[in-house]
Amino acid sequence: MHTVWRRVAAVRTPDGAQLHAVVDGSEDAPVTLVLAHGWTLAQAAWDDVADLLAPRIADGELRLIRYDQRGHGRSTWPSPTHPDAEISIDQLGADLASLLDQLVPTGPVVLGGHSMGGMTIMCLAAARPELFGDRVRGVALVSTSAGDLTSDPRSAAGRMAALKPGVLNAALAGAVLVEKLRTLLPPSHPRHRRMVRELLYGADASDAMVLAGAEIMHASTVRAFITFMPALDEHDKRENLSALTRVPVEIFVGDEDKLTPPRHSRQLADALPDAQLHQVERTGHMLPQERPQLLVDALLRLLEAALDDRAAA
Amino acid sequence: MTSTLETPAASPDASPDAREVRVAIIGSGFAGLGMAIALRRRGETDFVVLERAGDVGGTWRDNTYPGAACDVQSNLYSFSFAPNPRWGRSYSEQPEIQAYLRATADRFDVRRHCVFGADVTSARWDDAARRWHVTTTAGEFRARVLISAAGALADPARPDIPGLDTFAGTVMHSARWEHAHDLSGKRVAVIGTGASAIQVVPAIQPIVDSITVYQRTPAWVVPRTDHPVKPWTRRLYTYVPGLQRGIRAFLYLFREFLVIGLAKNRRFLRPVAKLARTHLHRQVRDPKLRKALTPDYTIGCKRILISNDYFPAVAAPNAELVTAGIAEVRPHSVVTRDGVERPTDTIVLATGFSVTDLPIAKRIRGREGRSLADVWSDGMVSNRSAAVAGFPNLFLLVGPNVGVGHTSMVYMIESQVAYVDDALRTMDAEGLDVLETTPAAQEAWRSLVAEKSKGTVWLAGGCASWYLDRHGHNTTLWPDFTFRFRRLTRKLDRENYVGVPAGAPASRPEVAA
Repeated sequence: MHTVWRRVAAVRTPDGAQLHAVVDGSEDAPVTLVLAHGWTLAQAAWDDVADLLAPRIADGELRLIRYDQRGHGRSTWPSPTHPDAEISIDQLGADLASLLDQLVPTGPVVLGGHSMGGMTIMCLAAARPELFGDRVRGVALVSTSAGDLTSDPRSAAGRMAALKPGVLNAALAGAVLVEKLRTLLPPSHPRHRRMVRELLYGADASDAMVLAGAEIMHASTVRAFITFMPALDEHDKRENLSALTRVPVEIFVGDEDKLTPPRHSRQLADALPDAQLHQVERTGHMLPQERPQLLVDALLRLLEAALDDRAAA
Repeated sequence: MTSTLETPAASPDASPDAREVRVAIIGSGFAGLGMAIALRRRGETDFVVLERAGDVGGTWRDNTYPGAACDVQSNLYSFSFAPNPRWGRSYSEQPEIQAYLRATADRFDVRRHCVFGADVTSARWDDAARRWHVTTTAGEFRARVLISAAGALADPARPDIPGLDTFAGTVMHSARWEHAHDLSGKRVAVIGTGASAIQVVPAIQPIVDSITVYQRTPAWVVPRTDHPVKPWTRRLYTYVPGLQRGIRAFLYLFREFLVIGLAKNRRFLRPVAKLARTHLHRQVRDPKLRKALTPDYTIGCKRILISNDYFPAVAAPNAELVTAGIAEVRPHSVVTRDGVERPTDTIVLATGFSVTDLPIAKRIRGREGRSLADVWSDGMVSNRSAAVAGFPNLFLLVGPNVGVGHTSMVYMIESQVAYVDDALRTMDAEGLDVLETTPAAQEAWRSLVAEKSKGTVWLAGGCASWYLDRHGHNTTLWPDFTFRFRRLTRKLDRENYVGVPAGAPASRPEVAA
């Protein structure tokens, strides 16, 4: 029987958080693709992309690693012995570095990041620029931003940021109660799905897509929602993107994205003149779900370029 | 010293050297020890306990896997005549239960009746001599009465998976744990999600590199209300034994209420199912994992499991639950039917035991030379779960239809011990050489059990469990309140037996009846 290798791994970080990673494909694959998901999502947000890549993984063309960001999905928070562990996007960049060190110590890598996952890659590029060009050979930045997320008070992100810290802290203190309240309006409820659709999806999104996304988000914790909100606000790597100029970058944004509207991607494209910017019509913030084939095509371009690079080197 | 236990020359034909005893008991678990203690307590000393291992304890001696513990509170899961005020936890772990069994064996001085290393290879009824010829790996025995207390959870069942023998790493069954094998940093596959698996998975998950749990059917899991017993409670139990007896009675009654739902009206199981569902929702957030862990059969159809750490362990960052079904094992991996191959260093078989085809049944041959397994080829039959027609002077403990999933097995064992003991005393009182039950009594018992099993969750709950044999009949569980079993087996049902007095010519029971 022709088989596809799979293993799960817990990536250990210095502050005791453990990251749940799923590795698909052979150790011998010539290149590895690592995908990072967004805020209050989980690696399942990449399932449609992974499904489309499956035949190529089975043929040994690449290895795919999906992982849950700390505090998301099945990954843990820092151990209680590190009560002052920082919650920042830089920390997520450090987590991605730990993952690469432990699971992909050698060989070319292509990174894909959606929303907060894209910011994670920018933080990695700022903290470990030496990886880019040598190890990291290509980057896809999807529905993401280099910073200045909340300055526009009319944007969805801006409206969320307007919530006073006191409100957030109260919600965190009462997280148990908030969790209970959330169960009153589960994703199976049409109103729940309508809210999710309005905030996150474009005109072409199917109901099944919205339900799948709503279920992933419903599984995330109030703690993840609240504690990462200020971290997103503080994220600013607009002056720190130089490492990304060394590798091919493709940028994607939906023209109906309310969380990270197209101006953020245009800003990125300005800072990375060689990057390709794709603005996708009738598409919201959930691009990996809404346009998986588009992303897969770009990822395959990046993977191929990563291998050409190696041949040239 | 056990000078009486000298082993005779180990030749199969050396029956003149065979040791002659009144009673031979196979096994020294809860049932074998319970029987031995009952004999001792009424002054009987002419008996042996044949134990294949080197110590007493049975299932509780063999199942030393990490996390092994009892699903019934120790105040209930213990001999009624030997309460233990010093239990450290409400639900004891294996080492404490094993220590209790050893201490109880010593306290009632039955260890000197034990022949260790005596694996029974065959037991044959000799109609002329009216004796059982028992051949063991520690010599020959001739016994007037043979009592099999070999148990149902004795012989590990190995799954029939292609390539399992070709695996290059360690393969171990949960009931034969290899403690010398260090699991730290290993990629471990656990096959099975029954009572053993849900204890072993959380115990090893934190130390292994990764753990893959291969699940065929998810179990219903309810919270475990386990807690340490406070020192003052232990003192109270010591000085006020009645208090511990009272708690035991309360636990017994509380658990017996489950029978209403399991065997009478499944509606009463709904709150239990709700409890289990809430438990799962609280402990697992991942929607896909939650779905994979949600059973599609009525709660109770398979054994209800109790655990607070199983769900968190399978949802841990280094864990994966696989439902695709195993296609084959390769030297360094396990392959599932969906074509996914997972690198694997160690395989843990948490695949349970041979229950509906008790291995001891192949080794016991009755009056016509047929083995119990032969007679039972269409399903296990017995009179009152203890006696089989064609097998004179043979009694079974923990045989067919005495199993329970909701309460303490020890209660059933004590019921059976009292019944068998009454049979032995009846033989003495009437001066009988031979006591044998009738096919008619067996048939009556079979139809009683079948009637009681109708509509129970085990038959109608929509699952395939180890409770049912390959014909779909319940041959393992007692399908009613356990106090009803006790009432039915309180005294020997003498009318269902044919006795041959000492000195009387051999006569076929069928004729005599």
